[in-house]
Amino acid sequence: MAFISSGYNPEKPMENRITDIGPRHYEEFYPEVIKKNKGKWSHHEILEPGVMVHVGESGDEVYTVRVGGARLMSTSLINEICDIADKHCDGHVRFTTRNNIEFMVDSKDKVEPLKNDLNTRKFAGGSYKFPVGGTGAGITNIVHTQGWIHCHTPATDGSGTVKAAMDVLFDDFQKMRLPAQLRVSMACCLNMCGAVHCSDIAILGYHRKPPMIDHEYLDRLCEIPLAIASCPTAAIKPTKVTLEDGKEVKSVEIKNERCMFCGNCYTMCPSLPLADTQGDGIVLMAGGKVSNRISDPKFSKVVVAFLPNEMPRWPSMTDAIMKMVNAYVQGANKYERLGDWADRIGWEKFFEVCELDFTHHLIDDFRQQAYMSWRQSTQFKF
Amino acid sequence: MAKHETPLLDQLESGPWPSFVSDLKHQAEIRAKNEEGVEFQIPQDSVEDLLGVLELSYKHGRTHWKHGGIVGVFGYGGGVIGRYCDQPKLFPGVEHFHTMRVAQPCGKYYKTDFLRQLTKLWDLRGSGVTNMHGSTGDIILLGTTTPQLEEIFYTLTHEMNQDLGGSGSNLRTPADCLGESRCEYACYDSNALCHFLTNEFQDELHRPAFPYKFKFKLDACPNGCVASIARADMSFIGTWRDGIKVDQDAVNKYVENDPAYPPNAGAHKDGNWGPFDIEKEVLSLCPTKCMKFENKTLKIDNANCTRCMHCINTMPRALKIGDDRGLSILVGAKAPILDGAQMGSLLAPFVEVNPENDYEAITEVIENVWDWWMEEGKNRERLGELIMRQGFQKLLEVTGIDPMPQHVAYPRTNPYIFWKEDEVEGGWERDVAEYRKHHLR
Amino acid sequence: MSDLLSNKEESTKAVVDFLTKKAKNKTKFYIKDFYAIFPDDKPRAIKNVINAMVTDGILEFWSSGSTTMYGLKGAGKQHSSEGEE
Ligand code: HEM
Ligand code: HEM
Ligand code: HEM
Ligand code: SF4
Ligand code: SF4
Ligand code: SF4
Ligand code: SF4
Repeated sequence: MAFISSGYNPEKPMENRITDIGPRHYEEFYPEVIKKNKGKWSHHEILEPGVMVHVGESGDEVYTVRVGGARLMSTSLINEICDIADKHCDGHVRFTTRNNIEFMVDSKDKVEPLKNDLNTRKFAGGSYKFPVGGTGAGITNIVHTQGWIHCHTPATDGSGTVKAAMDVLFDDFQKMRLPAQLRVSMACCLNMCGAVHCSDIAILGYHRKPPMIDHEYLDRLCEIPLAIASCPTAAIKPTKVTLEDGKEVKSVEIKNERCMFCGNCYTMCPSLPLADTQGDGIVLMAGGKVSNRISDPKFSKVVVAFLPNEMPRWPSMTDAIMKMVNAYVQGANKYERLGDWADRIGWEKFFEVCELDFTHHLIDDFRQQAYMSWRQSTQFKF
Repeated sequence: MAKHETPLLDQLESGPWPSFVSDLKHQAEIRAKNEEGVEFQIPQDSVEDLLGVLELSYKHGRTHWKHGGIVGVFGYGGGVIGRYCDQPKLFPGVEHFHTMRVAQPCGKYYKTDFLRQLTKLWDLRGSGVTNMHGSTGDIILLGTTTPQLEEIFYTLTHEMNQDLGGSGSNLRTPADCLGESRCEYACYDSNALCHFLTNEFQDELHRPAFPYKFKFKLDACPNGCVASIARADMSFIGTWRDGIKVDQDAVNKYVENDPAYPPNAGAHKDGNWGPFDIEKEVLSLCPTKCMKFENKTLKIDNANCTRCMHCINTMPRALKIGDDRGLSILVGAKAPILDGAQMGSLLAPFVEVNPENDYEAITEVIENVWDWWMEEGKNRERLGELIMRQGFQKLLEVTGIDPMPQHVAYPRTNPYIFWKEDEVEGGWERDVAEYRKHHLR
Repeated sequence: MSDLLSNKEESTKAVVDFLTKKAKNKTKFYIKDFYAIFPDDKPRAIKNVINAMVTDGILEFWSSGSTTMYGLKGAGKQHSSEGEE
C-alpha cells in the first residue's frame, strides 16, 4: 500500500491551497430539458406510483422515475446508478431530500425501458436495488441518521431500523392508497440530527441510563472542566475519588436525576460512555408535519415511550408502526394527514383505535410547555 | 469468504427494500477482488471490518464508535468529523474512520462524470462507503484515515472544483428544494439563492464564527419539501402577495372528472375515493373558507387566502401561484434539545428575491440577525433559544422590522408588559413631594 | 477595530497569554471566551483574527460535531486520547 500523493505538500499546507469555492454550480448538472424549461413549468401528473411527468409551458415534457434507496450507499452502487443514468438519461441523475434517486428522461417512450431496467436490478440477497415508488399519497423513503454504523452516541441503529420499517411499509411505498402522504423519519439519539420532531411517524433512539464514569482513566483522557461545561443540564460536578488501590484521582460525579441522556459529555470525554443494552431503545412519535397545507405545521407527539432494541428487525417497533398506519388508513378522510386525523378524532381515540397503551410517560413534564398539552376543557371522549 | 461472520446483519438482506447489508457485502467483495487494481490508501478490508463492528453492535445493542474533535483539514473548523472504533484490535480496518462532508450541489442534480470522479477518489482514499446524502444535505464520505484528509481535500479542490461542507459552530451547508428547476409551485429560484448564500458566506461556513451551528434551508413554496420550517435557524419559504391565478376551463375539467385532470396530480390514484367533488375536497377543506364555486366559476377571495397550497395542489392544472412573488423568512427552528423543539417563527412576511442586487433584502436580514446572535448568544445557544431568552421584540429591534399582527398567531394573553421608560409619557422619574400635595401620607 | 486587535503581534500575544494562563485547567475555548480579551471590538472582527491564528498554526480547532472550540496547537489531552499524536 504505497502512499500516493494528490499533489498536496504537508510541509507547506498553504502552497497552492484552494479554499472557499463551495459546491459545483447546479447549472452544470441540470438535464437539458430542465435547463430549458426552468421557471416555466405548467403542471405535473403522477402517472403511476414512482413515475411523474412535468409539462412545460413550451409543451416540453420531463418524465421522472423515482426509486428508493438506502442512504448508506457504496461507491459500487453509485457507479451502477451512473451506468443507468448514462444508458437512459444522458448522464444526469438527481437525489431527493428524502434519499430517493430520480432518473429523468425527456420523452414517454423512454420510460418503460428505464423502469424495466430499474425493476430487474436486485441485490444478491434478493432485495430490490432500485424500487420504483415513493410518490403521492403513500409512504416515501425514511430520512434517518447514522446509528451504529458511524456515530458515538446512538441508542439504536439507523440503517437497520429503517430497513426493517421499510420492508413492512413497502406496499405503501409502491402504492398511493393513503388519505395523504405519510412521512416517516428516524433519528438515533435525542439530538435528532435528522430533526424527526415534525414527522407523521418518527422513530427515535433513546438512552435511559446516565453515563458510566471510568474514574481510573478520566483525568488522564479528559479535561474535567470541558466535560462539566458540556452538560446541558449541569448534572456534572468535579470530585475526587479513591480507587481500589488507594490512589486518589480527580474525576467527576453525575447527578443522575438531572441527566437527560444526551451524550454530550461522552463527546467531550471518552471516559463517560452511556451506551447500554437494556437502557437503550426506541421512542415512537406521531402526528407531526412540516407542510402548511390546510393546517399549520405541527410537532410529533410521543405515542410509545419505550421499546427495547430487538435486533435485527425490531418487531415490536414495526408492529406499532403498522397499527398506526392501518388505523389511519381506516379512519382518516382524504387529504387528512395523520396528525390532523388524530386531532379530529381526539388523541384519546387515537390510542384506542391504534391499540397503543397510554402510560404516565406520555404526559408532558418537561419545562413550561408541558402545561400546554394538558386538557383544559371538559370536552373529551370516553 | 467474508472476514467476519454476520448472522444478525444477514437477516437484513431479505425483504424488498434495498438492503444496505447486501450493498456493503458486495462492496467488500469488490475491494477484496480489486479487479481495477486500485492502490487502496486505507485498509482494503475496511468494509469487512465495518460490517464486523456493526454486527458486534447488533449483538451488544451498543455503539462501538468514539468521537474525535481534532482532525480536520487545515484552516477549516468544520467539514470533518473524527471517528475511532473502540475495538481496533478486532477491526483494524476501521480503527480511524473519519467522516468528510462534501457540499452538495443545490437541487442535488448530478452528472455522472462528477459522481464517477468522486467514487474513484473515495475508492482510492477512503472506504468507498457514503451517505447520499446526510440529513443536513451534504454528501457524506464515511470512513478514512487522518493522513488522507488533506489529500482528499486537495483532489476535491484542485481536480473537481469542489469544496467541503460545514459542521461545528459554523454555517451548515445550505440545502434547498428543487424549486423552479422542476416544480410549478416554486415562488422563487431556490437553487440560485441557495448557491448564492452558500458562496457568499463561505467564510462563515468553513471557519467558526458563531456560538453554535446555524442552518439555512430553502423551500420555494409553503409545501415545504425540505422541511425548512422545522429544521433551520433561518428558513426561506416562497410566497406571493397577489391572487391565485385561475383557469376556469381547467377548473371545470376537474369538476367533470376529465381523466387528463386527476385531482392532486394523481397522488391518490390507488385509493377508492370516488369521483372528485370540488365542494368536499377543495372548498370545504380550504382553511379560510375563502372560495366559492357558482355557475361553473371558481371565485377566490384572495385577501383572505393564507396560501396554504391545498387548492393549488389539488387542481394544479387550473390554479397557479400568483405573480407578485417573494419569500417569507422564519427564524429559530431547532431540535428539542435543550428547551424543547421550536418551529420557525415568522420574522419577515414578504421579502423580495432579487438576484440583480445580490439579494440585498435577504442578506440584510441575515447579517442583522447574525450580528445580534454573535454578540448576545451564549455558548451553544441556538438562535431560537436566544429569541426566547431576549424576546421576539428584541429580534424585531435588531432587524429593524416593524411589529405587525402577522408576527403572532394571537396577541399575548397576559398584560405583563415590561414597559420601557421611554415608552411612558413623562418617564419614570417623578416628584413624590408633588404627589404628596394631593395625597396625604 | 481597536489598536490591540489590529496589531497582529500584540493581539497574538494577548491570546496566547490568555490561553497559557488557563492551560492548567482547560485547553479548549469557545469563540465567546475571546471576546473578553478584546472588549472594544465586534465579534466578527475578533473571530477573523482568531481564525487567522489557526491558519498561522498557533491555534487549532476542536470540534464536537455541533460546536467548534479553539486551543493552543497541541495543548490538552485530546491528542493522546484520540490517538492523533
Ligand atoms: C451538542 C450538540 C450536537 C453535537 C455534539 C452534534 C454532533 C454531531 C455530529 C458529530 C454529527 C456528525 C455525525 C457523523 O456524521 O458522524 C452530527 C450530525 C448532524 N447533526 Fe448534530 N450535533 C449536535 C446537535 C445537533 C442538533 C441540535 C441538530 C439539529 C437540530 C443537529 C443536526 C445534525 C444533522 C442534521 C446531522 C447530520 C445527520 C445525518 O445526516 O446523519 N445536530 N451532529
Ligand atoms: C396580578 C394578577 C391578577 C390580578 C390582580 C387579578 C385580578 C382579578 C380580578 C380583580 C378579577 C375579578 C374581576 C371581576 O369579576 O370583577 C379576576 C378575575 C379572574 N381572573 Fe384574575 N387576576 C390576576 C391574575 C390572573 C391570572 C394569572 C389568571 C389566570 C391564569 C387569572 C384568571 C382570572 C379568572 C379566570 C377570572 C374570572 C373571570 C370571570 O369571572 O370571567 N387572573 N382577576
Ligand atoms: C399580586 C397579586 C394579586 C393581588 C394584589 C390581588 C388582589 C385582589 C383583590 C384586591 C381582589 C378584589 C377583592 C375584592 O375586593 O372583592 C382580587 C380578586 C380576585 N383575585 Fe386577586 N390578586 C392578586 C392575584 C391574583 C391571582 C394570581 C389570581 C388568579 C390566578 C387572582 C384571582 C382573583 C379573582 C378571581 C378575584 C375575584 C374574586 C371575585 O370575583 O369576587 N388574583 N384580587
Ligand atoms: S441522531 Fe444522535 S446518534 Fe444519530 S447520528 Fe445524530 S448524534 Fe449520532
Ligand atoms: S449524558 Fe448529557 S445530560 Fe447526562 S450527564 Fe452527560 S452531558 Fe449531562
Ligand atoms: S417546496 Fe414547493 S416549490 Fe419546492 S419542490 Fe416542494 S412543492 Fe415545489
Ligand atoms: S391556498 Fe389554501 S387558503 Fe388559499 S384559497 Fe387555496 S385552499 Fe384556501
